[in-house]
Amino acid sequence: MPGGGHCPDCGSTELVEDSHYSQSQLVCSDCGCVVTEGVLTTTFSDEGNLREVTYSRSTGENEQVSRSQQRGLRRVRDLCRVLQLPSTFEDTAVAYYQQAYRHSGIRAARLQKKEVLVGCCVLITCRQHNWPLTMGTICTLLYADLDVFSGTYMQIVKLLGLDVPSLCLADLVKTYCSSFRLFQASPSVPAKYVEDKEKMVSRTLQLVELADETWLVTGRHPLPVITAATFLAWQSLQPSERLTCSLARFCKLANVDLPCPASSRLQELLAVLLRMAEQLAWLQVLRLDKRSVVKHIGDLLQHRHTLVRKAFRDGPAESEAGEEEQQGRGQGPGQGKEEVASSSLDLPKGKRPASPALLLPPCMLKPPKRVCPPPPISTATGDEDISDSEIEQYLRTPQEVRDFQKAQAARQAATGVSNPP
Amino acid sequence: MDADSDVALDILITNVVCVFRTRCHLNLRKIALEGANVIYKHDVGKVLMKLRKPRITATIWSSGKIICTGATSEEEAKFGARRLARSLQKLGFQVIFTDFKVVNVLAVCNMPFEIRLPEFTKNNRPHASYEPELHPAVCYRIKSLRATLQIFSTGSITVTGPNVKAVATAVKQIYPFVFESRKEIL
Repeated sequence: MPGGGHCPDCGSTELVEDSHYSQSQLVCSDCGCVVTEGVLTTTFSDEGNLREVTYSRSTGENEQVSRSQQRGLRRVRDLCRVLQLPSTFEDTAVAYYQQAYRHSGIRAARLQKKEVLVGCCVLITCRQHNWPLTMGTICTLLYADLDVFSGTYMQIVKLLGLDVPSLCLADLVKTYCSSFRLFQASPSVPAKYVEDKEKMVSRTLQLVELADETWLVTGRHPLPVITAATFLAWQSLQPSERLTCSLARFCKLANVDLPCPASSRLQELLAVLLRMAEQLAWLQVLRLDKRSVVKHIGDLLQHRHTLVRKAFRDGPAESEAGEEEQQGRGQGPGQGKEEVASSSLDLPKGKRPASPALLLPPCMLKPPKRVCPPPPISTATGDEDISDSEIEQYLRTPQEVRDFQKAQAARQAATGVSNPP
Repeated sequence: MDADSDVALDILITNVVCVFRTRCHLNLRKIALEGANVIYKHDVGKVLMKLRKPRITATIWSSGKIICTGATSEEEAKFGARRLARSLQKLGFQVIFTDFKVVNVLAVCNMPFEIRLPEFTKNNRPHASYEPELHPAVCYRIKSLRATLQIFSTGSITVTGPNVKAVATAVKQIYPFVFESRKEIL
């Protein structure tokens, strides 16, 4: 309330500063009479001092939802519906998208990135609710490149400061196994190939746990391991009829894509199972190979904890090969382990049990051959000519000569003074 | 077995990146014609010069900013940078060696044990990030040192930091965490 002013109409002193759009006015709050008002327009000289503000710098961007943001939000909802996610996931994913859109880096990004951002928000929501969804699935649905997806994903996690839990392997196994079309007989799937879902899922879970313990899962893409484990589980449930079926044919029958690394994971898993089989007395005599061990997977899985402990050694251990290995470790990881692995692979034929192998990630068991460059033969005699560019290194500048002489003189004086008796 | 503080780990520095400025404009065409061991990238507007003695590759921009990579220690990087400035001086430019700064150091370290990555990520939640679908290693960031460590399941660790001291401190800091999550059967 400004002092000394009162309304000319009703005489009250209740005057309020109010503005009508851009015009400032002094209004009486009792009768509404406008007492004084400011200037509505600006003069030419005033306008000369004004600066134009671009839309991207004004606050209009944050107040309105732009068309591309609306499109993005629609895509998020569509993707959640396609994946049949619960409605709470949809809301969370939409909230993440809006939050991301407030950052200028995302607002000014290309449309390809905004498209991929949709997938990132859905993935983060699923991970936080432990819903097993792989990046591969989202990339296929969005027709996006995995490199672009990974870059955007890492950026958005950093930008929003989110803590995204890792992919839950057990849930992924259950979801992935359920997608195999082998639980009912059909024209393409003969009756002998049909399998019970529960049995297959539980056996696959056990095989994946075994793979996790023996370093086959760490650092690798989880899906090929699960494919290999599912194949072995399926084969082992009725080995007599199914041993002839290959991994590729199995995936074709089940209507599932075969990921490339799955065959090497299969070989690694079979190698682990063979090692475990050597610890069982009644299997030692059978001299199993990679095909026949499939028949005994059930037994091996039942006792897998003890068998893994017996079959594999954990670093410097009590066996006589332990000291060798310790020396090997001292020399250097690659060389030493190569020696020990080869020594433990010479299985004695006969009744003696095989010495335990080292439980290491597969890449360490087969270290890549490193070409050691031969040491450079130096024929430097010291009498070679010094090039002009190098001569400066060996010559002192006049200043340096003077400094050196001064230092020498100082040293002489010091030793002269402090001459020990 | 406790994590001993006097375990000697060899940290091998594989790359040191440094920048410096010559306070003058450089004629890239002249360098490309008269310099030895140069590659002229006309489309990008830079010249690559390789030195043999300290094995260094330098990227020379016409503004006078030079980036040197490939050295294996900070002193070697400075020595190589000075050598490069000297050879540019020989070519006839009024070069002044200023603003030398080591920008990035890349080092590799091997732990004597294997590491269980999922466990490690769970125990070091905000700093560690592990996406097996994208990269086989755990990415651990130390904000205070501005260092990033990539921890592999084989025990090999790649560290990048702003200088050698930060890299050494980062390895010292990470050792107890990594030791906790080392592999033990069952």
